Amino acid sequence: MSEARRLSAKAGGGQVVVGLLGSGLSAAAETVRAYGPDRVLVADDPRLKAFSAQGYSAVAAKMLSTLPEPRAVLAPATAMGRELLPRLAIEVGGTVAPDATDVVPREGGGLVVTRPIFGGRATLVVELPTVPCVSLRPNAFAAEKSPGDSTKTEPFPVGDLPATAASVVVEKTVVTRGDTPELTEAPIIVSGGRGMKGPENFALVEKLARVLGAGVGASRAVVDAGWRPASEQVGQTGKTVSPNLYVACGISGAIQHLVGMSSSRCIVAINKDPAAPIFKVANYGVVGDALTILPALTATIARSKGLPNP
Amino acid sequence: MDVIVCVKHVPDAETRLRAASSGKWIDPDGVKFTVNNTYDEAAAEEALRLKEKCGAKSVRVITVGPARAEEALRYVLSMGADEATLIETPPDAQLDPLTTSRLLAGVIKTLPHDIVMVGKQAADDEAGVVGSALGALLGLPSYAFVTELSPDATTKTLKMRRYVEGGEEHFHGPFPAVISLLKGAADPRTPTLPNILKARKKPLTKVPLADAQAKAQALPGAPVAGTVRSFVLPPPRTGAKMVEFQTPEEAAEKLVKLLREEAKVL
Ligand SMILES: Cc1cc2nc3c(=O)[nH]c(=O)nc-3n(C[C@H](O)[C@H](O)[C@H](O)COP(=O)(O)OP(=O)(O)OC[C@H]3O[C@@H](n4cnc5c(N)ncnc54)[C@H](O)[C@@H]3O)c2cc1C
Ligand SMILES: Nc1ncnc2c1ncn2[C@@H]1O[C@H](COP(=O)(O)O)[C@@H](O)[C@H]1O
Repeated sequence: MSEARRLSAKAGGGQVVVGLLGSGLSAAAETVRAYGPDRVLVADDPRLKAFSAQGYSAVAAKMLSTLPEPRAVLAPATAMGRELLPRLAIEVGGTVAPDATDVVPREGGGLVVTRPIFGGRATLVVELPTVPCVSLRPNAFAAEKSPGDSTKTEPFPVGDLPATAASVVVEKTVVTRGDTPELTEAPIIVSGGRGMKGPENFALVEKLARVLGAGVGASRAVVDAGWRPASEQVGQTGKTVSPNLYVACGISGAIQHLVGMSSSRCIVAINKDPAAPIFKVANYGVVGDALTILPALTATIARSKGLPNP
Repeated sequence: MDVIVCVKHVPDAETRLRAASSGKWIDPDGVKFTVNNTYDEAAAEEALRLKEKCGAKSVRVITVGPARAEEALRYVLSMGADEATLIETPPDAQLDPLTTSRLLAGVIKTLPHDIVMVGKQAADDEAGVVGSALGALLGLPSYAFVTELSPDATTKTLKMRRYVEGGEEHFHGPFPAVISLLKGAADPRTPTLPNILKARKKPLTKVPLADAQAKAQALPGAPVAGTVRSFVLPPPRTGAKMVEFQTPEEAAEKLVKLLREEAKVL
């Protein structure tokens, strides 16, 4: 929403309209208002309880068709956002780019989008003609609250849905995330590898993560060894992350790990081996024993933030 | 049941990237191309397992790419797929994922298909667009970030698991459908020598680009797409600034100061 507001200002004005889809949305509609959109269209319908790209894109396309001249569609580059936008682009005859780290208006309509490719080893700048449907990488855009109360909230009737979309049923959701943030959205990640020596020492990683408000990541070696859950794996066969700060502890820096994290803004490597490849991509390096450096780092940061040392 | 799996012939993960003189993509000269990029190989493996578990009639592998992409098709044939289709583009074609999707959908529409399997994202452009786009173009439901699936042929329902923010969802939905696979249930098989030899004789159909374009014309949506303005490689990282220290405490103090005052990330 914040980026939509900034874009519309850059492009010489226009309304920011939020489409809210799901079931039981009154709290969400309230949250949205704090960011100051002009209108919120609320498609609150029990048939939208389970997400289906087909159903959601059908409704979003209907919403779009009520707007005289939609300039761009933005969504967060979460699993849902990334799945939804290509379908929506086709339904509205538009274009699509995922996982943008920068967007600017394009002359003649549409957007120019910058996005990392090849696991962050390169960047592509793409021109998207109208209507561009773009998902935005978490952390890459600042969210700004906007006080004031001019937001108009309007119910949006869902109408017919494709039969196949209406028959998607979620049986259960297994929550794997505890109190740490979702890895792909975490602004800071502390990651541990085989150099942590054993699953018990990940308490050191978790403690540092706690004082930093960070997510916990892992190399495949420690996931394969059963020290950490697969949901924490960063890399080619795990998650691609790009936090502001990535702290790699006892991780050698194999290419399959690097492709998942090398687009992080700042990388710190703590490794015993001065020749470890991780130091080639890191901004700051500490050659030493992660088992002694981590507690010192946790204590220093806790002290500077006035937090108890966990 | 007929299964189609889409794979892309992409640069090997360890390739050193150089920009082409056009400034719009990598220079393919000297680059090793492969199909063993995680997601597509997993998609192929899962397609073959569908055949083994549920008696799918045939598994067809299909790709959009230049002549060299035949290698990707032969690889999946040697894993055990039955037939292959190559939608042949000029060697230097640079396609937007929506354009690729339209070409694939135009051809897939003419082939029997109950399940179309794709990878979560291609290893080069990492768009994660083709799966959902194929669903829309073919008028089928699509399910993404799938980690497990088993079809029930009598009810035409797929039982699946998918990754969602913060966890995993167990859900079901109807097929025919398009599935983007995040992770397969098993490691992709390695082709054996006899299977590699057999794969050379399996049927491979080449579809000229113009034919695929003609087939794509009747599809929904508009044939508009993004165009690349530039392909940018980051300046080579110069290596880490090393923190010198005597004690862990000193290392911590110095590092925190750097992160706070120089990198401004704390
Ligand atoms: C197809 C494929 C896909 C893969 N996908 C992934 C992926 O998604 N993610 C991934 O991470 N890997 C992946 N890998 C594996 C990858 O190649 C590496 O094997 C893995 O990343 C190594 O993990 P590691 O750095 O924890 O372990 P190691 O390579 O064993 O490194 C341990 C490091 O710890 C250091 N060390 C030891 N003791 C200490 C100490 N006390 N203090 C500080 N440092 C210490 C050592 O110097 C060493 O550098 C993949 C491999 C393949 C083939
Ligand atoms: N040129 C192509 N030919 C065949 N399949 C493709 C092609 N490009 C992408 N795909 C499939 O679509 C998936 C997602 O690709 P993308 O949307 O480009 O990230 C890949 O994992 C492949 O399964």
